[in-house]
Amino acid sequence: MLTALAALEEAYARRGVPPAASKDRIDGPIDGPIDGRSGARALVVGYVGADMPVELLTAAGVRVFRLTGDPESDFALGDRYLGRGVDPVARSVLARLLAGSFGDLDRIVISHDCEASLRLFYALRELGRVEPGTALPEVYLVDILHLPHRTTARYNRRRIGEFAARLEAWTGRPLDVAGAVAAHDERRRLLAAAAELRRAVPARLTGRQFLAVANAPLPVHEHIVLLERLLAEAGRLDEHAGRRVFLSGSDHDTPHVYEAIEREGHVIVGEDHSFGDLSVTGPVGAGGLGTGGIGTGGLGTGGLGTGGIGTGGTGGLGTGGIGAGGLGTGALGALAEHYHYSGPTAHRATAGERAAYAAAAVRRCRAELFVAYCRAGDEAPAWDFPAQRAALDIPAVLLERQEYGRADLTALRKEHPCPM
Amino acid sequence: MPHVRSRSVTSLATAAEAGRHQREWFADLRRRVAGGEPFALLNADVPHEIFRTMDIPYAVSQWWASLVTAKQRSVHYLELVRQRGYPDYSEQYNSVTLGSAFDPEPEAGPWGGLPKPNIVVGDASGDVTRKIFDIWGHEPGVTFYPLESAAENDIPVNWWELMPHRWEEAVGPARLDLLTAELENLVRFLETTTGRRFDESRFREVMALVNEQEEWNRKTRALIAHARPSPLSVVDSIPSVMLPQWHRGTEWARDIAKRFYEEVRDRVDAGQAACPGERARLMWIGRGLWYDMGFYQRFQEKYGAVFVWSMYLAIAADGYIRYGDDPMRALAARFAAFSDQLYTPPWSSEWYVKEARLHGIDGVVHLVSDDPRGSYFTARALEAAGFPVIEIHADNVDGRTFDDDVVERLGQWLENVVMA
Repeated sequence: MLTALAALEEAYARRGVPPAASKDRIDGPIDGPIDGRSGARALVVGYVGADMPVELLTAAGVRVFRLTGDPESDFALGDRYLGRGVDPVARSVLARLLAGSFGDLDRIVISHDCEASLRLFYALRELGRVEPGTALPEVYLVDILHLPHRTTARYNRRRIGEFAARLEAWTGRPLDVAGAVAAHDERRRLLAAAAELRRAVPARLTGRQFLAVANAPLPVHEHIVLLERLLAEAGRLDEHAGRRVFLSGSDHDTPHVYEAIEREGHVIVGEDHSFGDLSVTGPVGAGGLGTGGIGTGGLGTGGLGTGGIGTGGTGGLGTGGIGAGGLGTGALGALAEHYHYSGPTAHRATAGERAAYAAAAVRRCRAELFVAYCRAGDEAPAWDFPAQRAALDIPAVLLERQEYGRADLTALRKEHPCPM
Repeated sequence: MPHVRSRSVTSLATAAEAGRHQREWFADLRRRVAGGEPFALLNADVPHEIFRTMDIPYAVSQWWASLVTAKQRSVHYLELVRQRGYPDYSEQYNSVTLGSAFDPEPEAGPWGGLPKPNIVVGDASGDVTRKIFDIWGHEPGVTFYPLESAAENDIPVNWWELMPHRWEEAVGPARLDLLTAELENLVRFLETTTGRRFDESRFREVMALVNEQEEWNRKTRALIAHARPSPLSVVDSIPSVMLPQWHRGTEWARDIAKRFYEEVRDRVDAGQAACPGERARLMWIGRGLWYDMGFYQRFQEKYGAVFVWSMYLAIAADGYIRYGDDPMRALAARFAAFSDQLYTPPWSSEWYVKEARLHGIDGVVHLVSDDPRGSYFTARALEAAGFPVIEIHADNVDGRTFDDDVVERLGQWLENVVMA
């Protein structure tokens, strides 16, 4: 029998591919019904972006998986439709959609987690209008915003309600939001424990392994079972003694950059992007808790920071819902609050918030070297680096304008050679 | 052969008057700020009308960037940005102005230099704008007030027909509710921090003046669209419409818009031509090429090709007018989807086609910046409608990005495609 880690890695190797089951059967959703409900046929939904309230997709009983790019496959069509100023991850996802690499999708849902995701949504919407021959599925935008204000909270609550209503319209049945939230909370709790394995000294998971553990495209209940096994098998995990690196910057939807850095003898023990530690949030309803309770603050000498995120509260907008009648306004309000305060991602947080997070996270994972990786076409992380470097007491190196899936480690080798 | 830059030659009295007024206004602004009045720096796409109503002096970030660039100083400011560790290749239109804040000799800037603002206001569009303004907000004595940038799933295509009166239908209630609430909060913030008063009656006057001004621009646009030969090129229309645009809500701006119309009408009546022997009517899509405004006149003598269209007059004609009994909601409607009008298909692409047809365009020159806005759907729509399109890849304030061969390439395109 495979170890849990091996099973998770095996599943991760299948990321971004369609569910194994035929669309005509209900036998193993990627992230589908948690209580065994079944209908005629579950919708297959691909989603994009860190701000997606996946709990609602689970609650709807659809079969869902996150769409990821592939730096090794041609994405010239993505370049054509989106232009080369857009993060190549989105260009690759679009090219793969057009090539049918994700199989038969019934719907695509996209969150507004960054400009590239939004531009991908616009491109798909427009292709559906002017080039119907592309035969792309219906696309829907979930517009969750992040300014730390009540005006934004109200807007998000409305959008969450609209998305829930849309899912009900698609599936023709009510959502089990509470059950889905409970399942995802349990997954988050287990992922937080797995993250501690990587933070251990020496690390018991590499960064590459943690990507697999966190992003294995499995139905939530299957993921929970494997995570429980992983934790039970923790004593048998290898120790990894390389230089401990905190990886900041762009999202990594594939393991390529992790593998390149760790081949140099480093171990990535933490990061601040949505496929890594930033996906390991507290439970829904905990007041929009930031990752692991790490607060956020102002840039440099204070000023207008947004400290206080994660100081409690249980879904302040949970009642008196907006336009989501009969959908469990309390749970939807808690979800809206949870995603409002997710992050801090490079694309939606200020440099000060990112620096405060980096300082706390670096201490927590006892990193020895801070590497800011900024992909060409993904410029936001480069704006964070000066404040991050100022907030840290470990060496920091900036890798700018990197190609998708590649890491030019010349600066890293020159300034911070790893004692292999 | 290296690209040679040159100043444009304007001939309209209103363009000259607008330029004189701008210098006088800026000198007065500097005096008011030196005298202790508050000073706000505003992004172009946020509601200036609130500051106008409260008589809070303000300048527009993009206007300052255009001035700096016209004085061939933008690279200097980008270098100052780089010296702070920030990227000098990212959203230069805003970061050039940020560079002013880092200038150790601010008075050496154009026209005595940009005074230090107390308040900066920008929207959270893209991944970088909020970061840039937030960094500015951490300079001593500066407060950043951010506004959200929200998106919508389903939109009617014909926004230019809906916006004057049916803007609720065009923009959608979710975005309008959000921005209206943000603006109400902005008023309270400004009342508190500046001590200035917001009078509803004055606000209604300002809103009425803006609509009157843009109505004059609409009439001017119609004159130019239908006149053969074109009575003026974009080197005259851009200053004649944009400098007053930054003063909208004043009687001066309304009145000079009227004089602009009258001057253009007189030229049409007299049969005056911007380019005697006009052979090709060109459309410029994209921001103004501020470091080389002479570019627009470089094809007149040899080819008889005149740039008759830029977005500046056209968006004044179609993009600002909002009528309605609730002025704050009408103001929100002006800006809740402003950039969509220019950069988001289908709104942008269908509008460019409408404008190309209206103006009898022979060829379209599209400036494509290395940012996420993309160009495919604009070019596709125009070409599908029969308009030849050539793309120039460059940033409009960063002259380092402008290739030496553009003029030659454009000349060949004129000969081989547009006039073939």
